[in-house]
Amino acid sequence: MENLNQIMLRNVFHVLPELVWCGFGVLLMLLQPFLKSRQSLTFVAMIGAAAGTLSTFFTLLGSGFSGLITFDTFSLFFHWLVGLVAFLVILGSDSYLERENLDAAEFYALILFATVGMGVLASAQELLTAFIGLEMSSIASYILAGYRRDSIKASESAVKYFLLGSFATAFFLYGIALVYGVTGSTNLMALADASPNSTLLRLGLTLILVGLGFKVAAAPFQIWTPDVYEGAPTPVTALLSAGPKAATFALLLRIFSTIHAATDFWFWVFWILAVLTMFVGNLGAIVQNNVKRMLAYSSIAHAGYTLVAFAAVTFVRTDPDAVAPAYAAILFFLASYALVSVGTFTVVSEIGGQGERYLTYDDYAGLGTRQPFAAAALSLFLLSLLGLPITAGFFGKLYIFTAAIKSNLIWLAVLMAINSVIGAYYYFRLIVVMYMREYKGTLPADASKGLSATAAMVVTVAALITLYLGLLPNHILGIVLSQPLMLSAR
Amino acid sequence: MPTLLILNHLWIIPLLPLLGSAINGLLGWKWPNRIVHSVALGATGLSFACALEAVREFFASGQQFFRKEFFDWIVAGTFRAGFDLQFDQLTVVMVLVVTGVGFVIHIYSTGYMAHEEGYWRFFSYLNLFMFFMLILVLAANYSLLFVGWEGVGLCSYLLIGFYYLKKSATDAGKKAFIVNRIGDFGFMLGMFLLYRTFHSLDFQTLFDAASKPGVAIEPLGQFGTITIACLLLFMGATGKSAQLPLYVWLPDAMEGPTPVSALIHAATMVTAGVYVVARSHVLYMHTPTAMYVVAIVGCATAFFAATIGVVKSDIKKVLAYSTVSQLGYMFLACGVGAFGAGIFHLMTHAFFKALLFLSAGSVIHSMGGEQDMWKMGGLYSKIKITFWCMMIATIAIAGFFPFAAFFSKDAILFAAFNSEHGGKALYAVGLLAAVLTSFYMFRLIWLTFFGKNRYDEHHVHVHESPLNMTIPLMILAFLSLTGGWFALPALFGGKDYFSEFVAPVLGSGEIAGLENAHSLELTLSGVAMVAAALGLIVAWRMYAKDVRQGKSEGLHKILYNKYYVDELYQAAVVGPLVWISQNVLWKVVDVGVIDGAVNGIASGTTAAGDTARHQQSGNTRSYAVWVLVGVVVVFAIIFWPVLHPALFGGVR
Amino acid sequence: MALNGHLLTFLIFFPAAGALALLWLRGDDEVWIRRFALVVSLVEFVASLLMVRAVTIGANGYSLEEFSRWISAPAINYHLGVDGISLFLVILTTFLTSICVLASWKGVHHRIKEFHVMLLLLEVGVVGVFLSLDMFLFFLFWEIMLIPMAFLIGIWGHDRRIYAAIKFILYTMAGSILMLVGIIWLYNATGTFDLPTIQLMLHNGQIVLSERTEVILFLAFFIAFAIKVPLFPLHTWLPDAHVEAPTAGSIILAGVLLKMGTYGMIRFCLPLFPEASRRAAPYVAALAIIGIIYGALVALVQPNLKKLVAYSSVSHLGFVVLGIFAFREISMQGAVYQMLAHGISTGGLFLLVGMLHDRTHTFEISEYGGLCVPMPRLAAFFLFVALSSMGLPMLNGFVGEFLILLGTYQAHWHWAAWAATGVILSACYLLWSYQRVFFGAVTHEKNRELKDTSARENSMLWALAVVILWMGIGSPFFTRRFAAPCKTVIEQMNPNLMHEAGLPRISVPHNGQQAMDATERLASR
Repeated sequence: MENLNQIMLRNVFHVLPELVWCGFGVLLMLLQPFLKSRQSLTFVAMIGAAAGTLSTFFTLLGSGFSGLITFDTFSLFFHWLVGLVAFLVILGSDSYLERENLDAAEFYALILFATVGMGVLASAQELLTAFIGLEMSSIASYILAGYRRDSIKASESAVKYFLLGSFATAFFLYGIALVYGVTGSTNLMALADASPNSTLLRLGLTLILVGLGFKVAAAPFQIWTPDVYEGAPTPVTALLSAGPKAATFALLLRIFSTIHAATDFWFWVFWILAVLTMFVGNLGAIVQNNVKRMLAYSSIAHAGYTLVAFAAVTFVRTDPDAVAPAYAAILFFLASYALVSVGTFTVVSEIGGQGERYLTYDDYAGLGTRQPFAAAALSLFLLSLLGLPITAGFFGKLYIFTAAIKSNLIWLAVLMAINSVIGAYYYFRLIVVMYMREYKGTLPADASKGLSATAAMVVTVAALITLYLGLLPNHILGIVLSQPLMLSAR
Repeated sequence: MPTLLILNHLWIIPLLPLLGSAINGLLGWKWPNRIVHSVALGATGLSFACALEAVREFFASGQQFFRKEFFDWIVAGTFRAGFDLQFDQLTVVMVLVVTGVGFVIHIYSTGYMAHEEGYWRFFSYLNLFMFFMLILVLAANYSLLFVGWEGVGLCSYLLIGFYYLKKSATDAGKKAFIVNRIGDFGFMLGMFLLYRTFHSLDFQTLFDAASKPGVAIEPLGQFGTITIACLLLFMGATGKSAQLPLYVWLPDAMEGPTPVSALIHAATMVTAGVYVVARSHVLYMHTPTAMYVVAIVGCATAFFAATIGVVKSDIKKVLAYSTVSQLGYMFLACGVGAFGAGIFHLMTHAFFKALLFLSAGSVIHSMGGEQDMWKMGGLYSKIKITFWCMMIATIAIAGFFPFAAFFSKDAILFAAFNSEHGGKALYAVGLLAAVLTSFYMFRLIWLTFFGKNRYDEHHVHVHESPLNMTIPLMILAFLSLTGGWFALPALFGGKDYFSEFVAPVLGSGEIAGLENAHSLELTLSGVAMVAAALGLIVAWRMYAKDVRQGKSEGLHKILYNKYYVDELYQAAVVGPLVWISQNVLWKVVDVGVIDGAVNGIASGTTAAGDTARHQQSGNTRSYAVWVLVGVVVVFAIIFWPVLHPALFGGVR
Repeated sequence: MALNGHLLTFLIFFPAAGALALLWLRGDDEVWIRRFALVVSLVEFVASLLMVRAVTIGANGYSLEEFSRWISAPAINYHLGVDGISLFLVILTTFLTSICVLASWKGVHHRIKEFHVMLLLLEVGVVGVFLSLDMFLFFLFWEIMLIPMAFLIGIWGHDRRIYAAIKFILYTMAGSILMLVGIIWLYNATGTFDLPTIQLMLHNGQIVLSERTEVILFLAFFIAFAIKVPLFPLHTWLPDAHVEAPTAGSIILAGVLLKMGTYGMIRFCLPLFPEASRRAAPYVAALAIIGIIYGALVALVQPNLKKLVAYSSVSHLGFVVLGIFAFREISMQGAVYQMLAHGISTGGLFLLVGMLHDRTHTFEISEYGGLCVPMPRLAAFFLFVALSSMGLPMLNGFVGEFLILLGTYQAHWHWAAWAATGVILSACYLLWSYQRVFFGAVTHEKNRELKDTSARENSMLWALAVVILWMGIGSPFFTRRFAAPCKTVIEQMNPNLMHEAGLPRISVPHNGQQAMDATERLASR
């Protein structure tokens, strides 16, 4: 029988990463007056991100705070993911901040706070905790989205993001309220076996789904994504497309892998949302001339692919040796996408140059000869997004296909296949532009100076991981598939 | 048992010309004519010698049939096409004709082509032709025969188009090849059908299987397997041997140098069709229907071509149509079952037609390239040797005793007369054709050698050709005179040594149970002589005295334009085919429909993308509305009972 | 055995190593780059010849197998093997690649390093496709091969190259992704990607596909292959790709890439889905025959020489598909032979067309005319190759066509009859175009000064000519080696035959136990 302090202590150890990140966030703010050089701030921030991530080794498995959160290997996986993403984004934004000459400290702090939110999302065992996590990450992202105060576009997108975000959050909150009304609890475990045929419960779950659907940019709630992704500073876009999305998907997965009722209702929703999202994303992307915007749509499309896996999971939930691969598919896919997209946006932000001027396809013409490294890396990322072999993206897609077909969702698989072909068009088009078109007009002075050292590091890491996952998906998959990673609920 | 030196290495006979061709083809361009033609002549001469030796050994060994497999050419599953050569009486005739006449013509060419560009090219092609022709006649199975068959086609393509700067020449070459291909189409299908029925393409196995008592003879009018196979083979023959309706290429083929016309388009290649039919006689014996078709086509061609020959003014064209007509005779013979007679005529024809072409060549040579008979005349005194040789050939082809064609042609007509199913009609047409033959031949003689000269003395200096051209003429002249004497004893009730000779292969052409056959044969010979004389007289009345070319109209015009067959083919087949391919298949179907559909899908997708983009107004309020719409959608899905997986699990 | 049992691995990855070396080593000296690439491709070629001794005549199953686990879930294994069918296709690939390096010696002027890197990577992909026994591996290489090819077209191609490149990519992707779905579905049913294992399971009835499933799977595979072949009406990417591609690209494209489609049909469609194949046969044959005639007729009227050759490929590949779907031993062998023959002859034709383009910078037939006069040697070679392509006996083209038609005729005489018209038409378009290009007087003065073939070009052309002759006369050397595999495929077509025929041997020499394990595990289910 441990005393209160011990319990307190144990609980602390359940949320260690969050605390570390939080701490470093605060620390950065405090340091700002004293540390003048940006580099040192970047350094501290990176230390923070890394420390938080590594602290997971000392984090206790199991649920804490009387079931508010639970730190299982599932959330462990996502802590690593968001931690790594944060780390890379920070490293990548260093040169960006210099170019745009923006204050580094708050920027990094916000990133870390957002990361905390994601962490919480990943290990939330309680709808309210989840809500808190959601808000933490969201609010941080709102600010980050508008971080370029001088740019109208950024501010506008920030406001837009904020308004719609709150709008969606309202749905989420109301959903929680309804669920609570029906079941008298907001703890997922308690909800696990709630009777599936109460209309109110359905209603609640639906609203929750809407709220989360907004965060992961699932059609028809994707509507905000292109504008915000385009408007926000590119490193932030990288973060948005990688971190919160993954974390929210984690929550989504946790919720309905726990709550039977949800799974039953949600199957068709996921089926249709998946199809909608894939098509909206890919079709939207075809016609873009702004790379950043194209990537925004592509991230929508990827949300769609993820949802395919969700549909599969909902369907096979009852069959244990089918569900495992489906989970694996989702986790692997999210991980691979997150890293690839961080890499992609880092390159884009570097190419964008001062004030993000060079974002159209034409600006990329002849990049292959101008900046071989950047071009090569970007091509690799694009091929991964496109889903070509020996890249992470290929196995991501492959696992989703497998899951879908295992659950006998042939049509969904075929539709996904069609979408991949559509996707092939616009990804390959960018490669074509980089390698097969000559730059029209006179090159801007700063067009040919390669990536900054920091960005180059990020890109290299991302590229290496992409190839690593593409050649030996085993290792990650082994972790993902290993029994402990099954959600503690199951 | 004598050693069979050559016979056991039969491949040597075709190989020598191939070597000659390869050597000249690869190195000849830097050599003087002297070396080039010594190589070529050496190759052909040697192979002629080997052929003679092979024949000697063949008879010395006293066997009726020799066959040897040298190596596998194509093997697949149960199918085997080997490089197998065989040697029997029929082969003897063919090989000697090919190598012998071929050699003579090679000699002639050294003179005729002496001043031509690409001397080496010419001899390389000519040797190559010898190679393929020998493969054709030595082959022991249809697939190998087909090699020679296509190969000689190729060589004729190359040689017709020898003057590749002249469009007419290359056109003719192309035409020849393609028309032959049309025939080969049938030939191939024929082979396939045979293989399907008898599971082999070897002559031996095939014919043994066919002559088994079990294989019934398919009565007239019934289209059984063998009938169809034979007809398909015959389709090939009509292509190669220029019979109706595929004869059109041969007259054009005269674009080639004259020795080529003599060797390929008179003596050897064009007779390949006859050879194949004779070779397959075992099969043909099973199908009266096919035989009948062969007879009729042959007979019709003989007459049809002769009518055209009557009006032509180009000396070589006349001979060309005469060739077509004579080939018709050979098929007529085969058609009525007198394969021996057919081959006999093939041989004699090889002699006198080659002679005719070569002398014509000599005439053209002496006239400095002039081919129009209306621009000749009165050459008799100037080129005596040529004239006498040509005269002999003409008498021979007209069928006067005792020249070659007298015997062969009579044998044919006799067989036709005695064949059942309207043999008399076939005979009548054949005879008519004979009249025409002698008519147009003597017309040629008179227009060329007699009457006033119609050419410009100042520009054309008529001169006799050099020895290396005239000697071959004399050799052939001798053969045209004596070539038929194998059958001489037959006239006096003796036996016809030729048909005797080929009997083991082709069966005796004797019509069983025909009393007083001999007297009948005599009378028919008499009739034939009369016919020939008739033709001669008419020609003499019309052309002996000095004549000018009249303007052609009416029947003459139709004949002169070859019944407009070429125009017909052009308008009915070639034109439409090209037009459709151009304007329908390519422009409409390919570019329009199929590729249009593909690009349509692409642009359709893009359009869809545009619409997807356009609801991205950038206006926050409308976004909120969208979110609401989404919510409604989701509600609809969830609260729409039909979609409940439990109820609706099947369809996804 | 050479390279102690890792010959196939070497074959696949040696070009990749070469490409890397090119990337890192000195990129400045272009001659050096060309020489290096040439050496690499030649070594590869020689190495590929080593396989010939390893493939035993008349043996079923695969030789030189290599097996090692790669990815545990889904169980993807690195399983290579070669049999008579793939043997010569690989050799063809390595041979043509060397030719390509030589062919681009003068033709390619910019970004030479990248060009050769792409060429070698392409070789990696193609060789990999032919040697993979693991469906997944197969798909992997199948996809990898796309990118370098698209780059070859897109960077070093002609005016509309980008359109062609994208068209090529999308067309192929559309097919291959459906194939991926099919592969996964099959995996889902069998639990393994290992081709021999799956064949075994299908044939001793451990796995039974429902009729509907079989048809769907068949289509998933077949469409992907049909696009590659290309089978009418999925062929429209081909003319664009060919016309825009640089010479080397066209050679590889026509020579090898198209064969990947027909190879896939033999390897996957027939043995895995016999029933569906049998049901589809009439329709496939109809399309093939349409392709033969249609392709020939369209080729007949092309004003652009390269397009003409491209369409002729559609016609020739129609023969191959017909031969495959006649399900006769003879026709099947003919089909395989025709693949090789077409690779050589059409490769040669593209090479020659490329040479014409190097000199005249145009493909328009109307711009040529009378080229015999300035370039007799080139003209002679062109005629030779054209004859081989129109199937003249004693040249390579004939054997394949003849066997295909012969075999098909045994099964369905009217198919053969229709197809045989292609023999006539091929003569038409080739001779007609040849006449317009080479015969007659020189029509354009500028063409009068054209140089005849150089020593480098002669070396290539002679190499091709020798192969053409050899394949035309010594065909048993080849057929004997792929007779057994073809027979096996036919037998696998009707399971009842399998028992007396004996199943395809699955012998995995070393550490190949897993494959068997998979089988047993599934058997025990």
